[in-house]
Amino acid sequence: MEHRHQVIVIGGGPAGLNAAKYAANAGCEVALLDSAPRLGGQYWRHTGIESDDQSRHHNFDQGSLLMDAVIANPRITIYPNTTIWSASVINGEVVLRCQDGAFITSRLILATGAYDRSLPFPGWDIPGVMTAGAAQSLLKGQGVIAGKRIVVAGSGPFLLPVASGITSHGGKVVGVIEAAGRFAWLPEILTLLQNPAKISEGLGYILTLRKAKVEMGFKQAVVAAHAGSDGLLESITVANIDAEFHTTSTYSIKCDVAAIGWGFTPDTSVAGALGLKEEVAVDGSVVVAVDENQRASSAHSELHIFAAGEITGIGGSGLSLAEGAIAGLAAAGSRSNLRELKKLRRKAKRFALTLQRVYSIPEGWQRWLTPETIICRCEEVNYGAIQDVSEKFGADDARSAKLMTRCGMGMCQGRICSRNVADLLNSPDSDRIKGVYRPIITPITLGELARDGLL
Amino acid sequence: MNTNPDAIVIGAGIVGASTALSLTNAGMKVLVIDRGNIASGTTSAGEGNILVSDKAPGPELDLALRSRDAWFEIQEDIGGGFELEAKGGLVVARSEDGLRALRTLTSAQRIAGIDAQDISVTELRVLEPHLSHSITDGAFYPQDAQCQPMLAAAHILRAVRARGGEFVSGANVTAINSRSGSVTGVVTSKGTFNSPIIVNATGTWAGQIAQLAGSSLPIAPRRGFILVSAPTRKIIFHKVYDAEYVANVSSGDADLQSSAVVEGTLSGTILIGASRERVGFQDGIDFEILRILARQAIALFPILADIQLLRAYRGFRPYAPDHLPVIGEDPVFKGFWHNAGHEGAGIGLAPASAQLIVDGILGRTSFMDATPFSPARFAKAAAS
Amino acid sequence: MITFTFNGVELTAREGQSVAAALIAHNERISRLTRISGKPRGIFCGIGVCFDCLIIIDGKPNQRSCITEVKEGMVVVAQDGA
Repeated sequence: MEHRHQVIVIGGGPAGLNAAKYAANAGCEVALLDSAPRLGGQYWRHTGIESDDQSRHHNFDQGSLLMDAVIANPRITIYPNTTIWSASVINGEVVLRCQDGAFITSRLILATGAYDRSLPFPGWDIPGVMTAGAAQSLLKGQGVIAGKRIVVAGSGPFLLPVASGITSHGGKVVGVIEAAGRFAWLPEILTLLQNPAKISEGLGYILTLRKAKVEMGFKQAVVAAHAGSDGLLESITVANIDAEFHTTSTYSIKCDVAAIGWGFTPDTSVAGALGLKEEVAVDGSVVVAVDENQRASSAHSELHIFAAGEITGIGGSGLSLAEGAIAGLAAAGSRSNLRELKKLRRKAKRFALTLQRVYSIPEGWQRWLTPETIICRCEEVNYGAIQDVSEKFGADDARSAKLMTRCGMGMCQGRICSRNVADLLNSPDSDRIKGVYRPIITPITLGELARDGLL
Repeated sequence: MNTNPDAIVIGAGIVGASTALSLTNAGMKVLVIDRGNIASGTTSAGEGNILVSDKAPGPELDLALRSRDAWFEIQEDIGGGFELEAKGGLVVARSEDGLRALRTLTSAQRIAGIDAQDISVTELRVLEPHLSHSITDGAFYPQDAQCQPMLAAAHILRAVRARGGEFVSGANVTAINSRSGSVTGVVTSKGTFNSPIIVNATGTWAGQIAQLAGSSLPIAPRRGFILVSAPTRKIIFHKVYDAEYVANVSSGDADLQSSAVVEGTLSGTILIGASRERVGFQDGIDFEILRILARQAIALFPILADIQLLRAYRGFRPYAPDHLPVIGEDPVFKGFWHNAGHEGAGIGLAPASAQLIVDGILGRTSFMDATPFSPARFAKAAAS
Repeated sequence: MITFTFNGVELTAREGQSVAAALIAHNERISRLTRISGKPRGIFCGIGVCFDCLIIIDGKPNQRSCITEVKEGMVVVAQDGA
């Protein structure tokens, strides 16, 4: 089946929702695609059961209003459960192939969001070690608490809602382990004070955790995980660390879940497949390059392709909403409201960059690795094997490491490991960008590929 | 770094690496240079084929027969680690015409010394239980083998370095110097290196390198795609391909030539090819071609319909107009040796091609007459 | 409430729950053994990006349990290797 639409938005999180809404209100006929069964992306992930969702989300009202508005808008057609496996330009149009056919447009807005950034450490492949986002998604999207004794660790403001959410719903958080210092935000107090809503949100989480007597550790990190005889997570080793992540003393915590988040990695698969110009952001992630109207750049100047939200740079929901709105208007060719929105965007961007500075992650995590530490989870390639490629063959580039160890060639196609490998090998920007190129965006069966369809 | 080696090999793909090994084993101090790193070109875009089955009798088949055995000699010499497997090749015919052509080919191949076995439908099912039941005829070639080409090039270069050779990556050649009709060295982005012997092993880019010296080679790209499945349990046991493949390889047609080539690898993935087109160095993935490849593979192995495709990659095979590789001394510049243009058979033919080069350089009689591969043949053709 | 089986045992799940969530709710944390070393894996990223939570669903291997909704009568089996 071929679906042609005037504007297509990929991604139903804050950026995509706002992009769809603004484009539709400016008069466009819009299709909104998402791979999940429900809208909301990761940020507003919900079960669809109202009583659950209200109690689980800090500002679900805002999300709920926006989602309802998008669903009710007669100009917006929503396609949930839609996974795109290829994106290309054919005869001057963008062709997005999905399971049942294809979507075609000449005006595309990419808002494909991000996923947790994971850093490898000894034992991170033991079941029970997961991302902070996994614990969050289990709670918000599924109504399930991840385990009986949960540690939330890593760095960044995301740890607080994860820990607080679990606690509020009766789960036991036995520790929140933050790599930054307790007062790391103090030098940035002025910018933070300009965002009172965010401050009160954060204080709310901290109060919840205090009330539940959850222990919070600062300038600490999980440096090893240990399994019991059943192969499941039994305990973790936490180290006291300095600003460069040197470890001093350690202690251990018994737990069955370690939910660890080190910020986020943009999901630029669709953008890369389309050949959009990408660049490397300050935090080392590959992002889509956009102009001040959220317009992306490609070899196909006749197309109107925009990008909004985390894929243009990790920045949180406020920034995503502002970028989505601007992209929606720009895709519609409308000029109204842009000044106000751009002001909002500037402010949100300043806040996001401030947070990034406060919670920046140095390279020192590399010192926690042993040669046996798994780097590529899918193909079980350990650090020693990657070091071997340099030592044995004198090739220290990411491509050689990939081709000779199979690191990054497994099911996830480098989504989890390619950023880490690039860091370990000090890859130049061009290699980082090549490392996230995936023309087959997600696995499909050969039967699906062989099927008659658009073409 | 040795800026005055006995020989310079331009190209760190399988052909360059093999050439460097042969030269090193003959006692020379070799410098290998590449604008990228190991296996940056077509070597990393192939399947690692080491075939005798897909060649009709002629000089290329003679080269392939010697080269196939040479691969196992290399493993003896430098050790393994590159998944070299004598897995055998199965060629299947899907039509009466196809079968007739196959039987004609196998008879001729047997005369030329290949172990080409015409097999019955029962033997077919034993060799490949998942083969479509609509296929009833085929030929089996126990000599067909496979390796992992990137690892092979890397291990070979490691041996070269251990035996006194050197490798400089990221060295882009900008000039090839000569004096009085002999080459004297190369100028690169990583410095100037002097030697009276320079081997052009740059595959699809060999024509561009030849031009830097003031010579020429009519080598052009022939694009191909490969599908890679998710790692699966073993369901395909040999290299299996459609008898039409042989006709595709030697076709002069610029349009898309495609026929099914399917095989498993030691890492568990299934590789599916093969397509050939003359579209220059065109970027990007053509999904219509991927769809054709998937269809053809499913026609051979219906079970593949449920197997997941994980990624696809693209390569540019280097070919000369007469579909024979170019192995020999440049007709204009002494000391300038070409070892390129192996089309889709570069991996398989690399060791024996290297042998021809080193024998040529040392003035030794080789295992076969290299005249059919001589770069001088193009000048002759142009003149006539 | 809907029912499905995991490794032959009947379990319950809420409507709309993912296979991974339903399994965790029943304290089942291993969805597969890895292909090369036979090590246990369960959910990691929880949002369909890491492909660690692979499991066999109704005979099809390599299904991501964290993004596949449980359906009545689904047959789920832990995956051994590829």
